[in-house]
Amino acid sequence: MSVLEVRGVTKSFGSLVAVRDVSIAVERGELRAVIGPNGAGKTTFFNLISGFFPPSVGSIVFDGRDITRLAPHRRVALGMARTFQITEIFPELTVAENVRISTEVAAGYRLRPWLGRAAAARVQGRVESLLSLAGLGGKGDRLVGELAHGDQRAAEIAMALALEPRLLLLDEPTAGMGEQETYEIAQLIRRLHRDTKLTIVLIEHDMRVVFHLADRITVLDQGRLLAEGAPDAIAANEAVQAAYLGKAA
Amino acid sequence: MSAVSLPTARRVSYRPLALAAIWLVLLVAPYWMPFVGGYTALGTRILVFGLAAMSLNFLLGFTGVLSFGHAAYFGLGAYGTGLALKFLAPSTPLALILGVLLGAIAGAVLGALIVRRRGVYFAMVTIAFGQVFYFIAFRWHEVTGGDDGLRGFQRQPLHLGLTTIDILSNATAFYYFVLFCFALAVGLMAFLLRSPFGRTLLAIRENERRARFLGIPIELHIWLAFVISCAFIALAGGLDALLNNFANPRELHYSQSGEIVIMAVLGGMRSFWGPLIGAAVFISLEDYLSASAERWSVQIFNWPGHTLDWMFWIGLLFVVVVLLFPRGLLGVLQRGKT
Amino acid sequence: MSGLVILNIANGVATGAFYVLMALGLSLILNLSGVINFAHGGFLALGGYFAYMLIPSVGFFGALLLAPILTAIVGLIVEQVLVRWLYGRDPLYSLLLTFGLAFIFQGGTRFLWGAQGLPMSIPAFLQQPLSSSLFFLTSYRVFNLVVVAAVVVLLFLLLRRTRFGIRIRAGTLDLDTVASLGVNVRLLRSFNFALGIFLAGLGGVLAAGQFRLDPTMGDDYLMPSFIAIIVGGVGSLGGTVLGGLLIGIATGVTTVFFPAASEAVMYVMMAVVLLIRPRGLFGEEGLMT
Repeated sequence: MSVLEVRGVTKSFGSLVAVRDVSIAVERGELRAVIGPNGAGKTTFFNLISGFFPPSVGSIVFDGRDITRLAPHRRVALGMARTFQITEIFPELTVAENVRISTEVAAGYRLRPWLGRAAAARVQGRVESLLSLAGLGGKGDRLVGELAHGDQRAAEIAMALALEPRLLLLDEPTAGMGEQETYEIAQLIRRLHRDTKLTIVLIEHDMRVVFHLADRITVLDQGRLLAEGAPDAIAANEAVQAAYLGKAA
Repeated sequence: MSAVSLPTARRVSYRPLALAAIWLVLLVAPYWMPFVGGYTALGTRILVFGLAAMSLNFLLGFTGVLSFGHAAYFGLGAYGTGLALKFLAPSTPLALILGVLLGAIAGAVLGALIVRRRGVYFAMVTIAFGQVFYFIAFRWHEVTGGDDGLRGFQRQPLHLGLTTIDILSNATAFYYFVLFCFALAVGLMAFLLRSPFGRTLLAIRENERRARFLGIPIELHIWLAFVISCAFIALAGGLDALLNNFANPRELHYSQSGEIVIMAVLGGMRSFWGPLIGAAVFISLEDYLSASAERWSVQIFNWPGHTLDWMFWIGLLFVVVVLLFPRGLLGVLQRGKT
Repeated sequence: MSGLVILNIANGVATGAFYVLMALGLSLILNLSGVINFAHGGFLALGGYFAYMLIPSVGFFGALLLAPILTAIVGLIVEQVLVRWLYGRDPLYSLLLTFGLAFIFQGGTRFLWGAQGLPMSIPAFLQQPLSSSLFFLTSYRVFNLVVVAAVVVLLFLLLRRTRFGIRIRAGTLDLDTVASLGVNVRLLRSFNFALGIFLAGLGGVLAAGQFRLDPTMGDDYLMPSFIAIIVGGVGSLGGTVLGGLLIGIATGVTTVFFPAASEAVMYVMMAVVLLIRPRGLFGEEGLMT
């Protein structure tokens, strides 16, 4: 059964149509990459899924439930978490605090003026396991804002994981990173997907990362769905090559 | 980085010491203040405005929301307390509770109207709505005493079962009563800021978008922080009314709001205790200037009929703080350490 | 009764004109630079005092032009020396700075010219009542209205027809893009600030003749101008004009029926607008909210 179904969504801003009649279905446990040349509407498409704004036309179904017009924080409560192209973290708090806030919100503690001993211990344990999962073991007490770019991204992913999502949306997780950091983040995503069977949708520019990670690839071009399929099929697809080469030429 | 969030390794060592020092200084203040030119009522005033600035900072420094109309809720606490003593019952604690309730309820109603606004716009709307209460206090002469202020009430002795404490004629006893209220309020504030709820406020301050996409309903949490902050500052206002046995409409004016904001910024709005220190500096300076500004003016300019009053110097203080110490006194200290 | 209402509507428009002038200046600075200028009332008073000093030598009409220019020059200096450093920072700091400036202006004008109100001399022919039954309607009030209307029209022409004005409007929407097109944003902001202060100075000259000239005269206009901007919608100068007039008229009419609430009515208007249309009558969603 599909975790996420996007049915014929269109989003226009005034006369500009950023996304035009796109439908996709993401299966449980799948790692789906969304690619496309600059201006293809990838980020708008992502924002539609995570609820930044509603689509002009079409509907979005998450786990069998229509979420087309649901507020972002309600989508989070249903199990949809996301990261951002520009890392969105709490820079002047420590790594552990960042993950802890996320963990407490996920546990439904956000309005609690205090936590019992047992609950506090559970939260603490969860924070520690998330930190080590994200490869941030010894860095819990560092301020996130002081970390290297790759570690900040790992912290952001740990925060998203703390929400115990059934769908993780990653918006260009390796944007602005060097060779080594890109490799490490790609390894982290691969490990997550392998160990937790988490459904992941990611937008990515770096084709090596995409072909290394993705089960299936969706290609957008000028707001339309251009192609969809397994990595090999996409690599061989002439329309996709034309779209990318056309931009490059 | 805030002092109430989880202690990081490098901070653990000196925090308990600093805390002990703060409480020690406050506990014995009535005994050392006279030696540095102070007096007990000035100490009480510092506590009152320290609480006010810390209450505002709950919003400003820890939630990242700029209210520039908080004097209104300070004043509502003062008027609520005064009116309760004058017309309802001669009980100091009851009067304070009613003052806090009045401030919190007003904050809850107006907070709901403004909680969707952000930044400069939020500040403008808070100022404007704050002025509503100023005009009510100023105009509704029959109840509030209008521009003469609310008179005709006195703080009442505290009945503690076995014993009765006279806080009216004994300034030192009243100081300790205010310190007791201050400790309760500040303790509760610190407790809230260390809680999961408090951490969601830090999250909103740090990055509203991220907080929203963690599933925190931002507007609800800001509204709650606003109401809590209004309740605390109303307590400060109530204590101020008790201190003076008088409530002044000027206390609701936006210029008073500005003074409370500058206290928080002057001390350091990213630290829990900064606003108290800012209030101590500001109130002492104001006390000194109101007595000395005219003398300075004569000494500097010697221009008969023209005096440069305290307002000018306070204005200058604002400019200096903003341009030279935007992180506040404690901010400067903390940066020096790291 | 209806005569009284008309009288107060006219009065409201006359007062509203000052709100418009003040609010337009505030709005220009807020829109382009994100600064709420608390000291705007101080600049307004300064304009009045400059005119007071200038009238003996250059006459009223000379002062009407020169005093606002002098005020704008003071504004430019203040912007260059103090305000400029805070652009792009947390709005808290510019708020506190201009708040302090307002104190400095008030203390400073009191020091230089005294706390007492000063008599402002306006030409005799402007002091005549226009009609024997409507004694309040001096030709000076009408003159004020004409001047304000002319200035508003000129300002809108400036903003729509000149390169400078178009840049200001574009910068209000997206300053980064304007900067990337090679416009000197620093200069643009400085002149825009000075323009806003010019309007405050002009308001000061006119108001000093009609109401009073003393160090706190600007306080009467600050809150109504804030509310005019909120009601009209942040980011919309047309909305600001409408907001100012609406507040003036509403206050005037309330004075007839319920004088004690004449100040409260504008706050009620603001609350209603925020409930029904949070962005203000002509505000754009997402702009500085």
